[in-house]
Amino acid sequence: MKKIIKKIQKNEQVSLIIILIAIVCVFTAIQPNYFSVRNLINILFSASIVGMVAFGETFLIIGGQIDLSPGAVAAFSGVLAAILLNAGVPMILTIFIVIAMAMLIGYLISLMINFLKMEPFIVTLAIMSVFTGLAFIIGGGRSIPITNKSFIYFGAGDIFGIPISIVIFAVIFVIFHIILTRTRFGRTVYMVGGNEAASRLAGINPKKIKTMLYLITPVMASIGGMILAGRMNSGQPTAQSHLMFGALTAAIVGGVRFGGGKGTLYGCLIGVLLLESFKNGIAVLNVQTFWQNVASGVLLIVALSADYARTARNK
Amino acid sequence: MQYIEFKNINKTYVSIRALKNISFTARAGEVCALVGENGAGKSTLLKILSGDIQPDSGSIFIDGKEKHFKSPQEAITSGISVIYQERQIVPFLTVAENVFMEELPIKKNQLIDFNKLNKCTQKIIDDFNLPIDPTDRVNDISVAYQQMVEIMKAYRRNSQIIAFDEPTSSLSDSEIDMLFKVIRKLKEEGKVIIYVSHRLKEIFQISETVVVLKDGVYIAKVETTKTSEQELIRYMIGRDLGDVFKSLRRNKNIGDVILEVKGVNSDRVSDISFKIHEGEILGFAGLVGAGRTETMRAIFGADILNSGEIWINNKHVRIKDPSSAIAEGLGLCPEDRSSEGVIKSRSVKENISISILKKICRQGFIDFKREENIIKNEVNNLGIKTPSLQTEIIELSGGNQQKVLLARWLVSNAKILILDEPTRGIDVGAKVEIYQLILDLASKGLGIIFISSELSEIIGLSDNIVVMREGRITGFLKGEEATEEKILTLAMLK
Repeated sequence: MKKIIKKIQKNEQVSLIIILIAIVCVFTAIQPNYFSVRNLINILFSASIVGMVAFGETFLIIGGQIDLSPGAVAAFSGVLAAILLNAGVPMILTIFIVIAMAMLIGYLISLMINFLKMEPFIVTLAIMSVFTGLAFIIGGGRSIPITNKSFIYFGAGDIFGIPISIVIFAVIFVIFHIILTRTRFGRTVYMVGGNEAASRLAGINPKKIKTMLYLITPVMASIGGMILAGRMNSGQPTAQSHLMFGALTAAIVGGVRFGGGKGTLYGCLIGVLLLESFKNGIAVLNVQTFWQNVASGVLLIVALSADYARTARNK
Repeated sequence: MQYIEFKNINKTYVSIRALKNISFTARAGEVCALVGENGAGKSTLLKILSGDIQPDSGSIFIDGKEKHFKSPQEAITSGISVIYQERQIVPFLTVAENVFMEELPIKKNQLIDFNKLNKCTQKIIDDFNLPIDPTDRVNDISVAYQQMVEIMKAYRRNSQIIAFDEPTSSLSDSEIDMLFKVIRKLKEEGKVIIYVSHRLKEIFQISETVVVLKDGVYIAKVETTKTSEQELIRYMIGRDLGDVFKSLRRNKNIGDVILEVKGVNSDRVSDISFKIHEGEILGFAGLVGAGRTETMRAIFGADILNSGEIWINNKHVRIKDPSSAIAEGLGLCPEDRSSEGVIKSRSVKENISISILKKICRQGFIDFKREENIIKNEVNNLGIKTPSLQTEIIELSGGNQQKVLLARWLVSNAKILILDEPTRGIDVGAKVEIYQLILDLASKGLGIIFISSELSEIIGLSDNIVVMREGRITGFLKGEEATEEKILTLAMLK
């Protein structure tokens, strides 16, 4: 028994899973409907959009970087997609244009960080502000209705009862997990995040890695933004202001080390599920939704203090 | 203040007993040196003295009064200052603000009295006879003067016990002289000085008594005038080291020119030209700041090369960044191992294979089996002591971390190795291993550029020696004709 406890203390993923199970049990005990297929799918659906961005942030944080802009980019992407579709641009082309635009944003961010040597925090804060504003400006501040059936299908449709966005989310998880653990790029991300100067002297080009990293979050954000727009039948400029906070919280709750060099994608996945099942529980219990923010903040502090306590002990 | 006594100090970390029943006394007006290999317990003892950590049992007595420091603040109020290797200063503040950090003089209206502050600081600077100004920003002055700022802070606090942790590790010889003058002054004023150092020579210059620790155990306290370096080393490692360099295996087969540097200029060095052959160990001597590290960084593509040519195997090569240098067969073990060498949060395996990611990947995917085989092989070859390949590198000793960095370049098949202070912060026993390793690599035909600030190392290992001063090469010496005096003359005199 002692051995098992020790193992749990050492492996943060295990302790997170236990917390996740505990949360689900507590909410189910209070409100049995919480554990219904429908509600679980609800949880997974909201997890899928935050999750995509959180996976992107996981790559960035492991690489010693950060991106504050995904919420703004997601909102902007949703509105832009709606405008393009209403102008008669075919769906495939719309998706292509929106993703290309997201890559351009990411590339711009990386240029400022690599060549102007600006702080990622400040650059992405500025970009966040710019695209929060642009999301309102390009649509005139209103939500823009979407009528394109196949686009809506991506947001609201399902395959055998499983929403498409959950399927996309699962596919992205598998691909990203493989990239992070089994490819040269993934390994390099850990190295650059662990020690950028040492990586450079060992023959890695940190600038190239950073450029690639900053392409990931905007692309994930734009996909998330489009799925959400599809689900709501409209591109809404206010849609995703909380997305960035949720994604960062999930990644860090999931054990991704702020500062770089450590973390896993499945840790992040558990972090996302944990946060979303908690938020959902609060909603199901009809508690005022403002408490969701309080709860995720508290969860972040609890997760971090557990992490610090563990590293302090291991020292 | 007459004396400080450590009595039966014990400290255990998770599973390691760091200190076992340490007892000794240091008296006022005495420099008490504390020596021992890495892991002997010197740093732990200093941390207990400074109140940073608390012993499991045992006490410190000052003039017979028992003290238990629960925090650094309590130690400071009891008259203890510890000057660590890492500076404890605020870089953007002035000298005066740092010296009076926690007791800035305040006017009646609650604002800082800068006049008084600068005047009081100037008085201390004059006492110490230093060429700095109270209003200098601390990050604008040299490392040596930054250290002086810390000493002045201790002096201003009127600390009666001042401990130094490896104070000379980043100082040049003339700066060490300055430091010693200050220490002697403090000693004459009746303070207890505790002086932790790896460098035995210094201990004979500055200390009255030497306390030797080994594996957390008190071994001996001897009067400096009645002992010798050999005796201290014997105490420290429990065996006689003899003449280290004579006992090493050498196989001298110097081959063709492998690297030639012609007229290299960078922002920090000018007109650097030298040659190195296969199997040759080329020592680079000079004072700290002479431009040795900067020369190598320019050659390795880590800093910008303004002009000059680099020839490898009689071929003119263009090196634009470290990655292209590595492709040409170069490898660099940097001076600052922890900030530029190892990737702390990652495993031994990953720290080695970082240089061959291209080689162990197929279509971008890592071939884990191949990686494991290559790494395992090299770890065995070099005798790297690690619990497993997955162990985080930071858990290894300094010597083994250095070996991991060597392994990084051996797996990449480097033909020219640049070793910048490879034995810094490594204990005596492990140093000898590193020396032998360097000689073995040279025997295999590698060209080795060996930078060191320890002259005995440079003379003991190098086939040829380049001496630098102020960014320029000031002389070449053959290994057999080199003496410390000759090197220092080239390194210091204009």
